[in-house]
Amino acid sequence: MNTGSSLPRWITGLTGWVLPVFLIILWAVATEYSWLSSQILPAPIDIVRAAINLTVSGELAKNIAASAERAGWGLLIGGSIGFLLGLFNGLFRIAERFLDTTVQMIRNVPHLALIPLVIIWFGIGEAGKVFLVTLGVFFPIYANTYHGIKTTDPQLIEMGRVYGLNPWQLFSQIIFPGALPSILVGLRYSLGLMWLTLIVAETIATTSGIGQMAMNAREFMQTDVVVLAIMIYALLGKLADTAVHFLESRILQWHPGFRHR
Amino acid sequence: MTTQAFLKTSSNLALKLEQVSKNFGALTVLENLNLDIQPGSFVAIVGRSGCGKSTLLRLISGLDQPDTGTVFYDDQIHKRLNGHARVMFQEARLLPWKRVLDNVCLGLCKEKKDRALEALQHVGLESKAQEWPSVLSGGQRQRVALARALVHEPRLLLLDEPLGALDALTRIEMQQLIEKIWLETGFTAILVTHDISEAVTLADRVILLDGGKIDLDVAVDLPRPRHRDHPKWIQLEEEILNRVLNTPES
Ligand SMILES: Nc1ncnc2c1ncn2[C@@H]1O[C@H](COP(=O)(O)OP(=O)(O)OP(=O)(O)O)[C@@H](O)[C@H]1O
Ligand SMILES: [Mg+2]
Repeated sequence: MNTGSSLPRWITGLTGWVLPVFLIILWAVATEYSWLSSQILPAPIDIVRAAINLTVSGELAKNIAASAERAGWGLLIGGSIGFLLGLFNGLFRIAERFLDTTVQMIRNVPHLALIPLVIIWFGIGEAGKVFLVTLGVFFPIYANTYHGIKTTDPQLIEMGRVYGLNPWQLFSQIIFPGALPSILVGLRYSLGLMWLTLIVAETIATTSGIGQMAMNAREFMQTDVVVLAIMIYALLGKLADTAVHFLESRILQWHPGFRHR
Repeated sequence: MTTQAFLKTSSNLALKLEQVSKNFGALTVLENLNLDIQPGSFVAIVGRSGCGKSTLLRLISGLDQPDTGTVFYDDQIHKRLNGHARVMFQEARLLPWKRVLDNVCLGLCKEKKDRALEALQHVGLESKAQEWPSVLSGGQRQRVALARALVHEPRLLLLDEPLGALDALTRIEMQQLIEKIWLETGFTAILVTHDISEAVTLADRVILLDGGKIDLDVAVDLPRPRHRDHPKWIQLEEEILNRVLNTPES
């Protein structure tokens, strides 16, 4: 008899949380008995307190909003450019010949290496950070869109031609839907890079945002706020990932690998 | 347009190939081929693997152009893909991101969309209309592909080993389905197949392709529906099979 599968759903759903909860308890105990100095790692309860204080003062919401706005604009601009360029180079041989080398060269420059230059160009204003995020998210979306378009099944395109589809229909009914799984993979990579870029950019030069909140706290040795900031980054990253998951399960219903029913 | 007039007067198409040749680099696949196909007839093309059957079908459909020679549809030079001919491939080539019914609708104008369900009924799959292609069996997918071809009411249906990947039982069912629909609709049909018995069961005429030329061209004059134990059926199948096996590889 297999009792594992007959457990109610909510219990099996909770099993993933057993380890994290255990670790937090361990952490709480360790700080309580001062095995760990609160300078190194604050007690979990201190972090909760810091979260409450910052929420009440409105500082937390303001900083999250500032970060989210940068992330959003960067993703929108970089994602759009990457997507359009990927489409263009994937669809038209001439565009590919003309542009692909340039794109590959840009790709090989680590975008975070540009930070000193970005500070000179944009100062510490918003534009510099949005620019960095734009650079960060651009390439994964570009590469995966391009790849998705290039790997469309030529047999399906041939079939579409036999059935009288015009070039626009070929694109909208065959090439683009075929490339979507790959494009979504690109989006997921981009989201990861989006947060990473933002974390680095915000800790270096900024006047608002979660990264700045963490840097400020560091100067005053408020470890609880620093840890809180790290946790918020983790949470936002997880949120973005869940959003892509949701998109995938909606858009890729036809795909046996994504069917959730 | 004169072709429009043809559409009204005859639902099937007369096909003619004149001195058609096709090379791929140094490889000559078809050489000065002449072929005349009566409107409404069912012709099977057989031959060894790699002898150029698919190539011939692609030339006929307009997917490829011959290097020399001409393809005629109803005595008119045929150059590009057009609505008269539809192709069924060895793979079903359904779009996985469209539901079965929408796959059948592919390339149909809006006014004709309701015909798609009718076509699905024709192949006995109306109950699967809202499924994704990935949940269908191989035979069901080919039936959807057949419905998709039929919904356009082609005057010429080109079948490139459409049953090659199916099991023996499903294959016989599909053969009967294709024969039934062909008898009802009367389009001109050209079937490429590896299976000599399939050719003799379905076709009015069997053409054996070898070395870029027509090696054998026999009429199959048997009453339909054909039974595989008919002495003449057995004799014909054997005759063609022997011919295929005896011709040396070119
Ligand atoms: N696009 C192409 N480029 C180069 N060679 C080709 C091309 N298409 C076909 N050929 C060659 O032409 C020959 C005939 O190919 P074709 O696909 O017509 O054979 P076939 O009779 O359909 O074989 P099968 O029964 O295995 O499907 C083969 O030798 C193949 O390698
Ligand atoms: Mg072939």
